[in-house]
Amino acid sequence: MLRDITLGQYFPGNSVFHRTDPRMKIVLTALYIAAVFLADSWWSYLVMVMGAVLIILFSRIPLRIVISGFKAVMLIIVFTAILNIFWTSGDNEPLWSFWKIRIYTEGLEHAGKMVLRLACLLMGTNVLVSYTTSPIALTDGIERLFAPLKLIKLPVHEFAMMMTIALRFIPTLIEETDKIMNAQKARGADFTEGNLVRRVKALIPILIPLFVSAFMRAGELATAMECRCYNGGEGRTRMTVLKTRFTDWLMLIIFIAYGVGIVLIRN
Amino acid sequence: MTKIELKGVSYLYGGKTPFEKKALNNINACIEAGSITGLIGHTGSGKSTLVQLLNGLLRPMEGQVLLDGRDIWEKRARMRDLRFKVGLVFQYPEYQLFEETVEKDIAFGPKNMGLSDEEIRHRVADAAKFCGLDQRLLKKSPFELSGGQKRRVAIAGVMAMTPEVLILDEPAAGLDPQGRSDIFGGICEYRRKTGATVIIVSHSMEDIARYCDRVLVMSKGQVWAEGSCDEIFNRADELEAIGLDIPQIARFVRMLKAEGVDLGDNLYTVGEVYRALIPYFKGGDGGAS
Repeated sequence: MLRDITLGQYFPGNSVFHRTDPRMKIVLTALYIAAVFLADSWWSYLVMVMGAVLIILFSRIPLRIVISGFKAVMLIIVFTAILNIFWTSGDNEPLWSFWKIRIYTEGLEHAGKMVLRLACLLMGTNVLVSYTTSPIALTDGIERLFAPLKLIKLPVHEFAMMMTIALRFIPTLIEETDKIMNAQKARGADFTEGNLVRRVKALIPILIPLFVSAFMRAGELATAMECRCYNGGEGRTRMTVLKTRFTDWLMLIIFIAYGVGIVLIRN
Repeated sequence: MTKIELKGVSYLYGGKTPFEKKALNNINACIEAGSITGLIGHTGSGKSTLVQLLNGLLRPMEGQVLLDGRDIWEKRARMRDLRFKVGLVFQYPEYQLFEETVEKDIAFGPKNMGLSDEEIRHRVADAAKFCGLDQRLLKKSPFELSGGQKRRVAIAGVMAMTPEVLILDEPAAGLDPQGRSDIFGGICEYRRKTGATVIIVSHSMEDIARYCDRVLVMSKGQVWAEGSCDEIFNRADELEAIGLDIPQIARFVRMLKAEGVDLGDNLYTVGEVYRALIPYFKGGDGGAS
């Protein structure tokens, strides 16, 4: 059950997005997010959705994977839609009213746009970053992209390392949780019955062993890193040196055009 | 009498994804009541999946798991009762400890059963005795103990539910020889006192030969063979072909035989071989060179 969470998981492949420089991908993602938030008329929404569809198609990630990542945040999207439907008032007569509840056409429109926007935002960024970039490449890209901030004494390398480690251990912790849950179930623990207080209490036998092993693992990792003479980013060389290629710049131009296109057909 | 029966059981991991993998394929097996069965197999042969099917943590995709002749999935609501009847100790169970004291941790299972405080105290004391945990340890925090002690606390936590079937997945993995024999001693003691059926998953052929009456060999998600230790360990060459082994001492006996010293068959423990060797040293007329 816990294994089904695919949000933030790398899906190996060899598409145009897989090969794009991770630094460029971060820039592209920023552009994409800006474009998605700038869209407002239905026409610009159409361009936005087309962009998202093209990204998914070109990444060659199976649609099933993209949708399963989407399911994880379905609740938030549905909640947003409901809020928008009921809490937007319009100038015309309400479409439907009952007691204090009134639904206006504007509400439905807002809700529809919001759902589209969130869906595009999520699927697009997931495909651009999570699915097509390995965690190592991603943090490498982040570190390089933000390297200038070292000048103002920001520990860029340390942050990147922390991110790499955190990403690396998510699947491990999920697996661990699964194991501990099964072990406690075998001792008759029940996570699905009883009221809220009982259910929260039922989590204690999972959380304590999980924290204990996470701390132990962190200690062991620190020792292992020190054994290999890790002492921060100072003077550290890299196995893979990132190089931007022609296609990376071409991609940038396409994404800028996409953003500009959306801005031009705004109201 | 048959305690557990598996009828055509299959299990699949990661269904409908590219990572799909058939873990178990049409398993048919019987576990005799009151026996100690050793479950052996190469890594990834499906042993751990099989034991999780036995206490209902996993549901077979095909086939049935029968306990005392009844399908364990017949009544879903009774699943917790089943878990109290079929106690499962996972691999490295020391990572499941969470309570403030050892005593409370062992009492977790019995408490979930809804027993009275008096009964829980009895159960905890008995389980601690089986696992060789003395009174002083019970008041300590489980996180202060050594690895071997933690392991015994975790096993006691399952024994305290007094399951009719006790399943242990690699109970002695990573322990020193003393720790190993303590744990297996405790398991044998538990069986002797309660008459429970025991299933032990192990990679150590020595432990299997010493403690088990029956052996179930798994290979590639299927039951490869089932029989007594003698029957199984006689097939040394075939076992090797599926990535398994025979006890070291049995290998020694085979080598001696190849050299012309026949100690006889079915010797799998150091004690047995020792007794068989004595005549060769006494008086020197045993025919050995």
